[in-house]
Amino acid sequence: MLRALRVRQTALAPLILLTPAFTVMLFVVALPLAFSLYTSMTPYRLIRPETLDIFIGTRNYVRLWDNAAFWAAFWRTILFLAIALNAELLLGLGIALLINKLTWGQRTLRTIMMFPMMFSPILVGFQFKFIFNDNIGIVNNALQSLGLTDRAIPWLVDAQLAMFSIIVAEVWMSTSIFAILLLAGLLAMPRDPVEAAKVDGCNSWQVFRHITLPFLMPFIFIAMTIRSLDVARAYDIVHVMTGGGPAGRTELLWTLIARVGYDNARMGEANAMAYVSTLLSIAFTVFFFRKLMAARRYMGGAE
Amino acid sequence: MTRALKQRLSAAALWLVTFLLMVIMCIPGLWVVLSAFRPNREILARPPVWVPERLTLNNFAKIFGLGEAQVAIPVGSYFMNSLVIALTSTFVALVIGMAGGYAFARFRFRFKNSLFLSLMLLRTVPAIALSLPLFMLWSRLGIIDTQMGLIIVYIALNVPFTIWLIDGFFRQIPMSLSEAAQVDGCTRWQAFWKIEFPLAKGGIAAAGVFAFLTSWNEYALAAQLTRSTDSKTLPVGLMDFTAQFTIDWAGMSAMAVIIIVPALILTFLVQKHLIRGLTFGGVKG
Amino acid sequence: MAEISLKKVVKSYGRTPVVHGIDLEIADNEFVVLVGPSGCGKSTTLRMIAGLEDISDGEIRIRGRLVNDLPPRKRNISMVFQNYALYPHMSVRDNLGFGLKIAGQSRSVVAERVAEAAGILGLSDLLDRLPAELSGGQRQRVAMGRAIVRHPDAFLFDEPLSNLDAKLRGQMRAEIKKLHQKVASTIVYVTHDQIEAMTLADRIVVMRDGHIDQVGTPMEVFNHPVNTFVAAFIGSPPMNQLPAVVDAGRLRLEDGTTIAVPERLRARVRAGQKLILGVRPDDISPEGYGLMEDGESDRVDLLVDIAEPLGMESLIYSRLAGQEVQAKLYGPRLVAPGERLTCRISLSRAHLFDAGTGRNLEAE
Repeated sequence: MLRALRVRQTALAPLILLTPAFTVMLFVVALPLAFSLYTSMTPYRLIRPETLDIFIGTRNYVRLWDNAAFWAAFWRTILFLAIALNAELLLGLGIALLINKLTWGQRTLRTIMMFPMMFSPILVGFQFKFIFNDNIGIVNNALQSLGLTDRAIPWLVDAQLAMFSIIVAEVWMSTSIFAILLLAGLLAMPRDPVEAAKVDGCNSWQVFRHITLPFLMPFIFIAMTIRSLDVARAYDIVHVMTGGGPAGRTELLWTLIARVGYDNARMGEANAMAYVSTLLSIAFTVFFFRKLMAARRYMGGAE
Repeated sequence: MTRALKQRLSAAALWLVTFLLMVIMCIPGLWVVLSAFRPNREILARPPVWVPERLTLNNFAKIFGLGEAQVAIPVGSYFMNSLVIALTSTFVALVIGMAGGYAFARFRFRFKNSLFLSLMLLRTVPAIALSLPLFMLWSRLGIIDTQMGLIIVYIALNVPFTIWLIDGFFRQIPMSLSEAAQVDGCTRWQAFWKIEFPLAKGGIAAAGVFAFLTSWNEYALAAQLTRSTDSKTLPVGLMDFTAQFTIDWAGMSAMAVIIIVPALILTFLVQKHLIRGLTFGGVKG
Repeated sequence: MAEISLKKVVKSYGRTPVVHGIDLEIADNEFVVLVGPSGCGKSTTLRMIAGLEDISDGEIRIRGRLVNDLPPRKRNISMVFQNYALYPHMSVRDNLGFGLKIAGQSRSVVAERVAEAAGILGLSDLLDRLPAELSGGQRQRVAMGRAIVRHPDAFLFDEPLSNLDAKLRGQMRAEIKKLHQKVASTIVYVTHDQIEAMTLADRIVVMRDGHIDQVGTPMEVFNHPVNTFVAAFIGSPPMNQLPAVVDAGRLRLEDGTTIAVPERLRARVRAGQKLILGVRPDDISPEGYGLMEDGESDRVDLLVDIAEPLGMESLIYSRLAGQEVQAKLYGPRLVAPGERLTCRISLSRAHLFDAGTGRNLEAE
């Protein structure tokens, strides 16, 4: 009797410890998501509450299928993420390798690296809207003062340039997480394998390719996983900088959801889009989390 | 070219690149900070004024409603809302996260990995997507535009990552320390507070700073779930400065400084633990 | 100061059993060493005695009291961990006094006992240091000090020396032995190192795959291993094991070489029986260069692969019947690779094991 109790106690402990966490997540995320799923199957409009009771099945989703604006935003989002994440990874890797090479000032630089991490995305958006402003922005001012151009480049008005500016803001905000994690990886790296490879006749590129990079992979996956937890914060940046304009040319999935849901009050349709964006984020996170787990196992073997 | 000269050159190149890097990292932020202390006239001047002629605190005075106040923006109540909401949600998230992180770090149980992953996946739902049902539900529950409404949401936003970090910190502390304490006469509870907690303190503080920053900086959810001075936070308040066609750059910059300073101080205080927690929480299985 | 008794103790994780019903009686003040390869269940057994692992079935008693359901703190035992488990944020003094403080002892008692333990272990000058400021050997001593301040009923050691280098390990081995003499008490000690087991133990418990293979004094285990596993595990270099068949009253090895059946075993073997002949390297030596040449013996020819001269003795790696055989040469004589040596094999000290079960023919 006593024994049974004690055994059950150790089995019960994690359950008790995890209950608050899962309760909160259930109440604030899972339940609303279920509600969202239901709403996405109604023609719900904020201004006509009775429409919440009309069940229309998957009609919203079917309509999305033929919605050109949705698909444009969808593919633009994918493209945006692909460019931004790759740029962040490459820049972050470059910066980490660079700082790793420095013999002094490493700590100061690492501290400066953290600077963008504490900026609110909405602030980053504002900040780049400010510096890319065609009249008073520092970028145009600098280009003109240096005599490189005499016209005001419409950074946020031209569709291509606006997308470029948004990506610059996003990359500025998120590169540091890659740089910091990869630098930590480089600093933690044992010297022996590198030296062994050098003795074996590898040149610096080969050392990087065959020794350093494999060692860094888990760190890359951690950075990617952490990043994938809130890729959608790019919404804030776009919202401030262009609001999805000009003429919807910088519209991402997330700004489209806000527009359809809040500005046009078509909640049913917005929820359907929200579901698609949620699945996209989840797929993304699962992908990198899996990679991380695999890399962890592989690292464990090397230890 | 001699070897020594080559080395000198490459060292110089290294420094040049590093310097450029720092400039790029810092200038956008510093430019905003500088603008916060410049008169609007100078910001809008054509041709541009590069070296500020005089620095002023007027922009701050203005947004706090002092002096020649035309722009009445209730920064004071935004600040208090932000502070109350961020601190409360951080504290609760830390308590919940400590319990959860400890469970993942110290116990073996079924579906452990799936539970961990599902927590992370719940975090990954885009804020704007989550805001739609929350907006509808919170309206019905009558907690829209209240501090409580946002606090609850931010707790949920912070719990998964807090658990991730704290799990990592506890896993760095050998199990045998708690076991030794138990053999020495402690209950598991005592062993936690006397041994494991003091050792994980730095990491827990770092997790707290992360949670605080997330709450302090969040916009997408706050923008939909708040409406008035009862609960509007600083990031939402920042948008008060943008009218349809005009933007009060100076005022906005001043507000930006107010948002940044607390975040800056906190981050620098725990940066060491922040980095350690981020990496080793994840790598060491 | 207590006896410990294990009855049919089982540990399983889910459906996988790792300890299969162990019976063991440990006497008061006895130094018992659990030894075996990694994964044999020795550490799990120790942790069950400590209360750090639940007992799936069976009974553990300390001082006659059933402790199955008692948490570690109520068992009045102390434990030294493999990685020492010193509290990194506490000074040596606080590490030593922690258990007493938790138990609510007065400050003067704590100070007195800490001073006593520090004196015994030579830690008196290090009391204000943090664990990070200590060397490996010093940490090890603090861990032991933390165990003795509490005057527990029994000490549990979990591979305490495995993190030390070879020289320090020898030193600490001696200190542990001294400690046992100074503070007479029951000690259960887990190691995978048979030298530690041989040098420290009153009794050795050899474990394999969650079972106990043999319990006995170091000499019993060394001289009378119950099976081929114990024979190979205890003793260094390990015992040579040669497959053989009984043929015309002699043991025929795979290449046809024959060796006499030891006299005391003649009645136990029958023709055609498949056996394993076990001979320690000490018991195969070139003629005239052996240690104990007076007993019953036989001759065998070895082909030398390499020899490791160690000064007054050499370890010879050689070939016999297609198998590597290690032999020892006592005396200042060099041996060259490829040399053919006629060796004496001491039959009075040789063992015969059943080839199928691996059991020693003499074990009941």
